[in-house]
Amino acid sequence: MEESPLHQFELHPWIPMSIGGVDISINKAVVFMWVVIAVASVCMVMAGSSRKLVPGKLQSLAEMMVEFIRNMILETMGKDGMRFFPLVATLFVFILFSNYIGLIPGTYTVTSQIIVTAVFSFLVYGISLVVGFSLHGVKFLGILVPPGTPGWLVPLMIPIEIISQIARPISLAVRLFANMTAGHVMLAVLFGLTVGGGVLIGWLPFVFTVAIYGLEFGIAFIQAYIFTILTCVYLGDAFHLHGHEEHAH
Amino acid sequence: MPPPQDPLYAGLGQAVRIGTELLAALIVGGGLGWAVDTYLFGTIPWGLVIGLVFGLAAGMRSAYRSAQRWQNPPTDVDKQG
Repeated sequence: MEESPLHQFELHPWIPMSIGGVDISINKAVVFMWVVIAVASVCMVMAGSSRKLVPGKLQSLAEMMVEFIRNMILETMGKDGMRFFPLVATLFVFILFSNYIGLIPGTYTVTSQIIVTAVFSFLVYGISLVVGFSLHGVKFLGILVPPGTPGWLVPLMIPIEIISQIARPISLAVRLFANMTAGHVMLAVLFGLTVGGGVLIGWLPFVFTVAIYGLEFGIAFIQAYIFTILTCVYLGDAFHLHGHEEHAH
Repeated sequence: MPPPQDPLYAGLGQAVRIGTELLAALIVGGGLGWAVDTYLFGTIPWGLVIGLVFGLAAGMRSAYRSAQRWQNPPTDVDKQG
């Protein structure tokens, strides 16, 4: 009960290792990343192995997921965006599985480490920059001036757009990290109150623990969804500079 | 897995998204202003103030933009230009 609610996020090296002064110790987060990858891969491979015309439970779940990701890409990027399907699907599946596996008591939520989410978001943003510059060249800088801006506003719009561009990967990383961390802290605090409250009053925080735990199932999905849809939106912005001017379809 | 078309989840997702966008832009704006002050010109607090104002504007703009995207499907927004 005296334990800090933040204690669950502390990482201690299980197998200390370092290469050239860089600490690459194996800790709980690393192990659970492997677990997430293993569980996700096994689930997907098993779902894809039977390929029946009338799908079983696992297969229809996997088909739903693929269809869902496909719709996200089609809605935000159009047909051309399907070339990003592997990236988008990998991110979605990894985040979804790590959010859900983290909800099992005693496990670790990989996405509650900001470095994990930051690597994903900067990767996505970096790819969107590379795609934008390779497709549009220097004209990609025109993303800083939204279409329809009056000439006298341009010097004002450029700093504003630069800030909102820099804010993109940061908000992407912080949102996922903060939501997962906050949810788990809340659960730890409420459950601490349950244990400390005894029988007379302890039932009240316990009810809330159960309710918040249920809510966290929704949050786990929503956060994976938001991260993925924003990945699509950012890639789509780089892809179709100012809407569909150049890639009309 | 809740279906994506569920209005509750779509709304929740949108709310969470806009909140962080506002805050992140404000922090980036303020941080850039502060960095310019501290490392370039030593004009504290003017860079910070201007940076915060620009950050606020940027946050409002991205929040407005995502709300707009929510109201009309992306194709309609593109047609309006």
